[in-house]
Amino acid sequence: MRSPRFALAIPAWAWLVLFFVVPVGYVIWFSFGYKPGIFGTHANDVLSFDRYVEALSPTFFQTFLNTLWVGLAGTALCLLIAFPVVYWMAVKVSPSKRGLLIALVMIPFWTNFLVRTIGWQVILAPEGWLSTGLNTIGVLDGPLEILYTRTAVLIGVVYNYLPLMILPLFVAFDRVGAPLREASKDLGAGPIATLARVTIPLARPGIIAGVLLVFIPLMGDYITATVLGGAKGNMVGQLVASQFQTAQNWALGSAMAVLLMLVIALSVAIGAVILWILSLPFRSAHRLVLGPES
Amino acid sequence: MTTQVTLAAGKSSTPTEPSGTVVLDGVTRRFGETKAVDNLSLRVEAGEFLSLLGPSGCGKTTTLRMLAGFEHPDGGDIRISGTSVLGVPPYKRDVNTVFQAYALFPHMSVAENVAYGLRQKRVPRAEVRVRVAEALELVQMRSFADRKSTQLSGGQQQRIALARALVNKPSVLLLDEPLGALDRQLREEMQLELKLLQSQLGITFVFVTHDQGEALSMSDRIAVMREGRIEQLADADTIYARPDSAYVAAFIGQQNFVVGTLTSSGDAVDTTIGALKAARIDSGLISGDAAQAAIRPEFVRITPAAEPKPTGTQGADGTLIGLAHLGESMQYLVQLDAGQSILSRRPTADAPSVSVGDAVRVSWKPEHVQVFPADGAEVAAGFVRPPKTTHSHN
Repeated sequence: MRSPRFALAIPAWAWLVLFFVVPVGYVIWFSFGYKPGIFGTHANDVLSFDRYVEALSPTFFQTFLNTLWVGLAGTALCLLIAFPVVYWMAVKVSPSKRGLLIALVMIPFWTNFLVRTIGWQVILAPEGWLSTGLNTIGVLDGPLEILYTRTAVLIGVVYNYLPLMILPLFVAFDRVGAPLREASKDLGAGPIATLARVTIPLARPGIIAGVLLVFIPLMGDYITATVLGGAKGNMVGQLVASQFQTAQNWALGSAMAVLLMLVIALSVAIGAVILWILSLPFRSAHRLVLGPES
Repeated sequence: MTTQVTLAAGKSSTPTEPSGTVVLDGVTRRFGETKAVDNLSLRVEAGEFLSLLGPSGCGKTTTLRMLAGFEHPDGGDIRISGTSVLGVPPYKRDVNTVFQAYALFPHMSVAENVAYGLRQKRVPRAEVRVRVAEALELVQMRSFADRKSTQLSGGQQQRIALARALVNKPSVLLLDEPLGALDRQLREEMQLELKLLQSQLGITFVFVTHDQGEALSMSDRIAVMREGRIEQLADADTIYARPDSAYVAAFIGQQNFVVGTLTSSGDAVDTTIGALKAARIDSGLISGDAAQAAIRPEFVRITPAAEPKPTGTQGADGTLIGLAHLGESMQYLVQLDAGQSILSRRPTADAPSVSVGDAVRVSWKPEHVQVFPADGAEVAAGFVRPPKTTHSHN
């Protein structure tokens, strides 16, 4: 009786094994090998941790830190920008107009990722129109020197990943629904208290989904950093890509990729623990256990 | 307990509008072109159980939401305990609401739901515990305190919603069709409990419902609403026995309507089944006006055609075409020889021995006939208002 139901899951399992488990297994396997001469990409006849030692050299380590910084700051900025927008969309805007707003959020997403990012190169260039405009109105004296810095990467990242934050957040906020917010206000809670005690706790799964959807791909992104970051805005994604494509050193590239995965997993775990600890006093303040009747 | 009492005493209630009094003064609320509430004035006395009764779209829920503070009037004034609440947000009003869908917080336990309002007022923890336990005992849900609110049945959730509102000891409790989602037996049980609670606590209840049985069984007074206005405001007996209009007459219970014209003597209606004498005639009617006579099914007797006509009655002959058992009463549909049909309802214990197809006679006493102007939907719909879903309050 179980087999028909199991059969429904076969495509998903097959997809997961073929396109996730097997490739990741290869990457891990390659990471313990080495680059055999100029024309080889990888060899595994001798296994060692040498590629990891190599990957953690000061230069690479600096890039890792830079990546983590962009990942955390980018995710935080996306959350900070998306939050009021989504609150407004889900709470204040009449339901009939929400579909249009969601469409407006999605439309830039239809444009090619690379083209969108190159667009920012044009805007942020020292001789670009933003620079000229800011000089004309007197906000800036001299050319705008943002392009090819970490700031430019951050701007590009926020622009590229914001829809991935807005969508899950909107679904979560929308599902909380007006009746619960009204009940909260009816019971004496102002807008802030209602947000803190009803809307955010109930929207938490969506907030977590949004943060993960932005943080994880962002940590591995190399297009944004390549186009806008230049030499100062290096990210691990670029290093991994260059090891595979330019240096043809699959072993080192794999070790970097594995390290990146570990950093992401560790960051998410640490973030979860920090949030849990921070929420402890809040939870105990609102917990009420009456116990059995006395 | 003490904090609330001082709070109430500190309110600027006036001698003419003591704490718990609700006054709507010429209140209008528009949604686009339509007036959901139209120049409505109403005074709810402190400690009164008042029902706003009407079909969907009559403005009763909008009125309640304006009292709660979720909607704001476009005109007029609303005073609670003598103070105008115009521009006062919901969280600063001394009213609480029991919502139609309960709106319990799914991420909190039963006790935490009930404690929510007290926590917002920064009531000390020890007092919160005591008051939450008391409120849960009041609705007989003390043993469910530490359950998740999502693990409860509809009736249980309803009680928690009630406890969550009452624990704040508001001067006015607003109830938005709180029994609508319950099955009939539970609903009737809760009606009794609600009424009992209200008289125990002495809190003003404003109860919104479209169920006339609910309104009749609990209310001190009923405001029957129609298109944003109050059609009649009176106690249950008056609303039932002496409705001001055909609309109220038809909305409360059931009615047989017979159309005709007011006779020259002014005390009867000329119809196809003869001149129907009436006890109450709308004062706006003059001889020759189109009018409709209304007779409640429970006042229509039904006897086999062979039996002598009951004394002191008027009536008509016809054929029994339908018969339904409603539990404590029987309902009969009679096709009159003149073509129309008449609904009759008799107590089961006193049911006449007739069966479908029999020739029967329907009869009633003139004192049970009321006459209204012949306008409105009842006439357009035909001779008899089609039977609605009945509610066995009588």
